[in-house]
Amino acid sequence: MNDLYEWIRVSLQSAAQDGALPLAFQYGFVINALLCAFLIGPLLGGVGTMVVTKRMAFFSQSIGNAAMTGVAIGVLLGESYTEPYVSMFGFCILFGLLLNFTKNRTQLSSDTLIGVFLSVSLAVGASLLLFVSARVNTHILEAVLFGSVLTVSDTDMNVLLAVSVLVLAMGIPLFNQMLLASLNPSLARVRGVKVDLMEYIFVFMITLLTVACLKIVGAVLVEALLLIPAAAARNVTSSMRGFVLLSMLFSTLSCIAGVLIPMQYDLPLPSGGAIIMVAACIFILTTLIRVTFARFREARA
Amino acid sequence: MTQSAAKQTAPTSRGPSIHCIDLGLQLGGVEILRAINLKLEAGKIHCIIGPNGGGKTCFIRSLLGQMPHTGMVETISLQDDEPVIGYLPQLLDFDKTLPVTVSDFMAIVCNGLRPAFAGLGQQPRQLIAAALERVGFVANVNTRLGSLSGGERQRVLFAQALIPEPSLLVLDEPMNNMDQAGEKRYLELIKNLAADGVTILWIAHDLNQVRQYADTVTCINQTVVFHGSPAECLDQLNTGDLFHLATKRAITKDSDVTTTSGSTVGEST
Repeated sequence: MNDLYEWIRVSLQSAAQDGALPLAFQYGFVINALLCAFLIGPLLGGVGTMVVTKRMAFFSQSIGNAAMTGVAIGVLLGESYTEPYVSMFGFCILFGLLLNFTKNRTQLSSDTLIGVFLSVSLAVGASLLLFVSARVNTHILEAVLFGSVLTVSDTDMNVLLAVSVLVLAMGIPLFNQMLLASLNPSLARVRGVKVDLMEYIFVFMITLLTVACLKIVGAVLVEALLLIPAAAARNVTSSMRGFVLLSMLFSTLSCIAGVLIPMQYDLPLPSGGAIIMVAACIFILTTLIRVTFARFREARA
Repeated sequence: MTQSAAKQTAPTSRGPSIHCIDLGLQLGGVEILRAINLKLEAGKIHCIIGPNGGGKTCFIRSLLGQMPHTGMVETISLQDDEPVIGYLPQLLDFDKTLPVTVSDFMAIVCNGLRPAFAGLGQQPRQLIAAALERVGFVANVNTRLGSLSGGERQRVLFAQALIPEPSLLVLDEPMNNMDQAGEKRYLELIKNLAADGVTILWIAHDLNQVRQYADTVTCINQTVVFHGSPAECLDQLNTGDLFHLATKRAITKDSDVTTTSGSTVGEST
């Protein structure tokens, strides 16, 4: 795989030097960031529609926070602090599955429970990470929270690629079943859907995706990228197909614009923040469209 | 075209019979159902009535194997294969602003592994069009589910219960929010399905409909209050004090009632 990345980088860089592409392309890390943007854009956009439909918005945020604890554990265990994937995946998957396990066994409504998990994971993660980073590198916390596109490595891209393939392999064939399981569990069971298993698979999928995207977008903002494009798409569509396709489009656009605009204009913005700001602009635009055009108007509840 | 498709897939007397033996259910320490003994015959219309909160929906979900019930539920099918269950849930609780159209919903329910956003295949599309026509759904299939009227949404729910062609149809208050034309269509459809040998379990509210269409009626309030043909059970009561009486009887002599209900099954067949 690494040869392929190298080949893409070299050919794009030479194109940039010939003047066929903007100057930003002469940097390898810009190309890396864009490759990642093309992967996570459609993926987060597509999965985001499921997150919105299943009302799991805050779940991915708590996973993002858990990743901080994961990084801290990784550093403590001696993993490299830029790529502590074993600890991050390990801890986050445990965390996600535990959350779902608890959800099935308490009377608490799921937003309350996720709220509890979210604050606990934030507190533990931030404390541990600050404790660790004081000894290693004071910028770890910043990088985990807001992502750092400049340091995307080939390993990061391999992880992202592997996760993308896995998520597609689970998400596409099980799309209907996962939606039905949350729309009406009783009907889903009659139709032979293993509702509990679907919830676990969905949680697993979101966890993988969140951790893999952490490097680019950062812990705080992964969930924003899952939600905002889907919410924007929802403003202007009335069918599932439009919803999914537009959400993928918005998300990809945000990723690419968020990477390129700060480069082009020399703005000292973290990539994660820039990506979400672009997404937010799209959201505002679609909201305006919805408010302005009569065909989106509907009766108030 | 749609009607012939419906006829082709309808052999006779294919529904299962259902036997409950000492069915009970406790949820969170509260006793919801107890000591239910019932024999529901194949290919008949069985109405279930009872007061709100009396456990009708829980009873049905226990029959479907979705509740941690005690006792036994047997579905005995004359054919070797497992019964195909069509289920009409009481309410579709979902966010009305979701961009899910009628055809998206049908795709989510019936489309198998092909994701709903990829559209319907040729064969599902025909099945779905046929089912929607059978329940008298006339609106555009590209309308959002959330902007349909209650009656139209109920029709969509009923249509999904007909795919694939069921041998056991479980209806949880199908007449909820239903308009008159829809009720007529439903009753006709239920009658025809039963005539085709489909076993029908129907939680009903309108006792006139029960009188007219049901083969047996079962009143459930924690346990079986009475069970038998509508003529026997309903005519001795007037509707006003039915549920009042039901509660009283259930508390005082439930064992008595369940045994008599067992014998009425035998007589009515």
